[in-house]
Amino acid sequence: MSETFDLIPVLPELFLVLAAMALLMAGVFRKDEGFGSTTSLAIMAMVAAAVLVWAVGGDERQTTFGGMFVMDSFAVFAKLMVLVGSALTAAMSVSFLEREKLGRFEYPILILFATVGMMMMISANDFIALYLGLELQSLSLYVLAAYNRDSVRATEAGLKYFVLGSLASGMLLYGVSLVYGFSGSTSFEVLPRIFGGDHPAAPHLGFIAGLVFIIAGLAFKISAVPFHMWTPDVYEGAPTPVTSFFAVAPKIAALVLFTRVMVGPFGDLVDQWRQVITFIAILSMFVGAFAAIVQTNIKRLMAYSSIGHVGFVLVGLAAGTADGVQGVLVYLAIYLFMNVGTFAVILCMRSKGRMVEGIDDLAGLSRTHPLMALTMAALMFSMAGIPPLAGFWGKFYVFKAAVDAGLFTLAIIGVLTSVVSAFYYLRIIKIMYFDEAIEPFERVSGRAMGMVMALSTAVVLLFTFLPGPLLTSAKAAASVLFPQ
Amino acid sequence: MLYVAAIFLPLLGSIVAGLFGRFIGDRGAQVVTCLLLGISAVCGAVIFKQVAIDHNTVTIPLMTWIQSGTMDVGWALKFDTLTAVMVVVVTWVSFMVHVYSVGYMSHDPSVPRFMSYLSLFTFAMLMLVTADNLVQLFFGWEGVGVASYLLIGFWYEKPSASAAAIKAFIVNRVGDFGFALGIFGIYFLFDSVTFDAIFAAAPGKVGATVSFFGIEWDALTICCLLLFVGAMGKSAQLGLHTWLPDAMEGPTPVSALIHAATMVTAGVFMVARMSPLFEFSDTALMVVTLVGAATAFFAATVGCVQNDIKRIIAYSTCSQLGYMFFAIGVSAYQAAIFHLMTHAFFKALLFLGAGSVIHAMSDEQDIRRMGGIWKHVKVTWALMWIGSLALAGIPFFAGYYSKDTILEAAFAAHSNVGLLAYALGVGAAFLTAFYSWRLLILTFHGKPRADEHVMAHVHESPAVMILPLMVLAAGALFSGWLGYDMFVGHDQQQFWGASILNIDAHKTMENLHHIPGWVAILPTVVAVSGIVLAYILYAVAPSIPAMLARSFNGVYLFLLNKWYFDELYDYLFVKPAFKLGRGFWQGGDGALIDGVGPDGVAAATREIARKVGRLQSGFLYHYAFAMLIGVAAFVTWYMFNAR
Amino acid sequence: MIAALIFYMFAGLAVASGVMVIASRNPVHSVLFLILTFFNAAGLFLLLGAEFLAMVLVVVYVGAVAVLFLFVVMMLDINFVKLKEGVLQYLPTGAVIGLILLVELAVMFGGWTFAPDVEALVMAPAPTADQVSNTDALGRLLYTTYAYLFQASGVILLVAMIGTIMLTLRRRPGVRKQKIADQIARTGKDSVEIRKVPSGGGI
Repeated sequence: MSETFDLIPVLPELFLVLAAMALLMAGVFRKDEGFGSTTSLAIMAMVAAAVLVWAVGGDERQTTFGGMFVMDSFAVFAKLMVLVGSALTAAMSVSFLEREKLGRFEYPILILFATVGMMMMISANDFIALYLGLELQSLSLYVLAAYNRDSVRATEAGLKYFVLGSLASGMLLYGVSLVYGFSGSTSFEVLPRIFGGDHPAAPHLGFIAGLVFIIAGLAFKISAVPFHMWTPDVYEGAPTPVTSFFAVAPKIAALVLFTRVMVGPFGDLVDQWRQVITFIAILSMFVGAFAAIVQTNIKRLMAYSSIGHVGFVLVGLAAGTADGVQGVLVYLAIYLFMNVGTFAVILCMRSKGRMVEGIDDLAGLSRTHPLMALTMAALMFSMAGIPPLAGFWGKFYVFKAAVDAGLFTLAIIGVLTSVVSAFYYLRIIKIMYFDEAIEPFERVSGRAMGMVMALSTAVVLLFTFLPGPLLTSAKAAASVLFPQ
Repeated sequence: MLYVAAIFLPLLGSIVAGLFGRFIGDRGAQVVTCLLLGISAVCGAVIFKQVAIDHNTVTIPLMTWIQSGTMDVGWALKFDTLTAVMVVVVTWVSFMVHVYSVGYMSHDPSVPRFMSYLSLFTFAMLMLVTADNLVQLFFGWEGVGVASYLLIGFWYEKPSASAAAIKAFIVNRVGDFGFALGIFGIYFLFDSVTFDAIFAAAPGKVGATVSFFGIEWDALTICCLLLFVGAMGKSAQLGLHTWLPDAMEGPTPVSALIHAATMVTAGVFMVARMSPLFEFSDTALMVVTLVGAATAFFAATVGCVQNDIKRIIAYSTCSQLGYMFFAIGVSAYQAAIFHLMTHAFFKALLFLGAGSVIHAMSDEQDIRRMGGIWKHVKVTWALMWIGSLALAGIPFFAGYYSKDTILEAAFAAHSNVGLLAYALGVGAAFLTAFYSWRLLILTFHGKPRADEHVMAHVHESPAVMILPLMVLAAGALFSGWLGYDMFVGHDQQQFWGASILNIDAHKTMENLHHIPGWVAILPTVVAVSGIVLAYILYAVAPSIPAMLARSFNGVYLFLLNKWYFDELYDYLFVKPAFKLGRGFWQGGDGALIDGVGPDGVAAATREIARKVGRLQSGFLYHYAFAMLIGVAAFVTWYMFNAR
Repeated sequence: MIAALIFYMFAGLAVASGVMVIASRNPVHSVLFLILTFFNAAGLFLLLGAEFLAMVLVVVYVGAVAVLFLFVVMMLDINFVKLKEGVLQYLPTGAVIGLILLVELAVMFGGWTFAPDVEALVMAPAPTADQVSNTDALGRLLYTTYAYLFQASGVILLVAMIGTIMLTLRRRPGVRKQKIADQIARTGKDSVEIRKVPSGGGI
């Protein structure tokens, strides 16, 4: 009856959970708030976890817990991205939250738990495991969205996110139950056997409906249109550090999960799911490009920007090939740094002792804070996909994969919408460089901010010269999902 | 390590001076860049010893740059004799110019920027010469282009400097376009951009053809010609030379470093580097010879009537580059590189000397308003004499060895084109000697023509400017004598190793030692006669030149206006381009594209954006509803489309 | 036959009371209908032979969650009528969408088939009821095959707890809490002081 499980592959997750619990106990029992020190320890824990991920994940694919948890190079790549994203955003939030008197020790702990959830999602090899990882992450995020409990906007954001998130989870579960009803299994190992191999079964319509529901549930998490409606409200309502966290790590984790689910268990049904993904991708790119134009709040703008980026990533997924998945991973890695850097700038937007969020408040930044304006300009150019900055290569690889897979229409729409989206990115640059300054920002940039900005700018600028390591590791990671 | 240091120390210096110039100050920037470049120069000398003298060819791979399909481009430093020669020339001349700039630019408000640009240029040039593939070479090529642009436009407040910088950049763009096409062509033909791979495969591609416009072209010739177009742009050959004289708007050390000694020779270097390709295309070599010879002669004629001291030297540079190219054209690559090296020394010397004169004359550049200052600036005067003697090819100065070798090679090629090149080259040698002494006499001798105020201020330059000149003068004196045996004499086979290829059909390098005696003596004779003529015209009977100019007004104006190249280009390209641009702008862009396109699309975009934005109502049930509609729509889609 | 009848009774009642949860005007009624839905669902579980789940559903959802809802609804003074005002105007569209989905699902389930060899694919077949009890079977699975999921659920609950405490707990200054240990530890000496009061004077 009794079986023992190999705990080595889950070591990073295990470590993070234990660290989170230890920090929780320490936080509860100490007298002061201990926000700063807890955050530093949490960041260290994440760094250690990243090292563990690196150490544990070899070239070989390992599974444990009866095949529910998988550790392969795809997971390693994604987990490293998630950990880096979480750690950077956590580091950025310290000074902001302390200034706003919002520092409480639960914040880093929730981030830790959310990160564990993401890592579980990434390594999920079974629908139940997927669901539990997703819920662990989502629940932490719901709480984080409402973190500033004295603010009506934040509370509203948290509540909206929670209700809609539950709806999405419900859809996902319904889809899983349909799939289970057809196949009798929820395992990612078993499902491909049904449609692949020597005697491929015809997918039943109910199964396809299940697939659609699963896609809908996951699309909510990556805020793809038409399941994106929560994004702008939550991004705007939540405290800015939380928003920056939302925009990076969970997006990456959910997209990676999405990719694994689509090309893993449903890999042989690519012709079926490609239709939905294509549609969602087009809508996302479209909404991301157009709705952002009329925004005046920079956080809302970033929400639409991330919707647009998700659309571009889905283009790579729609290709359904190893190249496409490689494009997805490369895009995500670049997206990670672009977004972290941009949010570092947004977090520095303060005047007269309070946070400002209007795009117009950036006016004249080039004269008051030339370095910050330069960083922002580089990031915006990159987001707009102007060569030779990193953002261009991200788009290049996904579109190339789409074209190679014969999805010309999708690629063309992608290029067109990225042109439209360049409009609002460039508008920010125009405001920074050519408009008269109204009210200069205070000099608040801490050491962490400066470092994050420098790092992201460096990545954005230098990727062109040194794309090798990222490309090769992404290629290796992507190839795991396509066993020959 | 040493090899890598030699290349990357200038970059480090550039970064330090450029980014932290504000913190370390003018003095700090000067010290840092000069020091790092000094180390680099010492490394360069060691490299020369190890690679060129001891024949240890090495390639140091740094990292992978682009990997896509069969395209495999890396960062690697390739050191063979050719590279080593270039490295030693570039680092030493650059070092001298750096030191010189400390004095020359001492009154400038933005010293760190200048030093940073200089070092950046040096790095890019070193990247160029150490490239082991065409793409990396192109990187350095464009890098020096950018640095050149920045330095010509260094005094960006001066409209003429800005205009000159833009002109240089655009004219180079034409050449670079050809170069880029050449690289594409080579990749298309050889499926690789790495030198070793290309050279290994080159003999097998002889006779390969490409079909274009329905005509079969020889593929190698096409590639070589395209590459040569790039070289023409960078090395200011006839047709694409117009930017070089204007580039004299930059500070004088820049002219010495970039527009005399190093960057403009990049074209020569590139063609020499590609010798295993050019050797298999007689047509391309013929074109190279013709263009080179024509440039040598053309630029020399123009140089005779210019009045700006720097422009005279600029045309002289142009002319000497022409020599190098026709040497290449007759397969005497070794002679071309030899001349490149000696020329780097004496031309940098001339430029820096001119800078010293300008410095002494309170920024006066017109030689008609100089004269008689030799008593006040004796050292500069002596150094300029050395430089001019070397340039004119007077025996036992550096230029004598290299230039004579080139002319002998042209004769020894035993072809019609070679003979033509020889004739033009001898003519140019005469003119060279003439304008050099015209410059010397008008500048230093005779009666002072400057006003008293200026004359009172004439003074010798500080030691920091004179010392580099001395070093360069030593080079101008001895480099030819020292290098002759190695570069073109009986040690050449061993010296060059595999870095330059001469196929058996082209035995110029051997033949040039077996030519009639008068061929070898003629250049010296005409040079001396040029000097004599200049002496007669400008020292003995100064009225004759004015009279000549009057009586041969047409010829004089033709030369003074540089054969009307600028006007021709203005009429052929610039004006129509402006007209076309205006037409496109107002008619096409303003009315058509803006009306329908951006303005129309922008209006539509805003409209759509507003509508999309309105969907975002803020109500929870709207959001939930949107999700449900989405799911329902997808399921419905599959109901009808799944099977 | 009877089993089928009872199934349809439970199922029908569950759906009907589910509708009433969102349709009734009085929020207290809504919660009561919710409780009824839970009971019916528990009945369905019983029919499937999952008596443990049925009991847990009643105990946890009815006994704890729904009752908590009831208290909250009664304590909060929310004008639910006003809250629901807008809903009616979306009802037609909503109904159409719902209907479409319903029809589609019906079509799907009408022609339901299973994957070939579905028996072989079932992950952890439950032992038959005559061998082990329901609770026993669940436990065996949960603590062995599904240990990972079980632990993960635990972490999720922990996060839920942290979240609720963080969002609601306020440490107001000046709030006095009962400290039982202190109370018990107090002795007469600590709290009572005996003073002699001289007659005619104060303390």
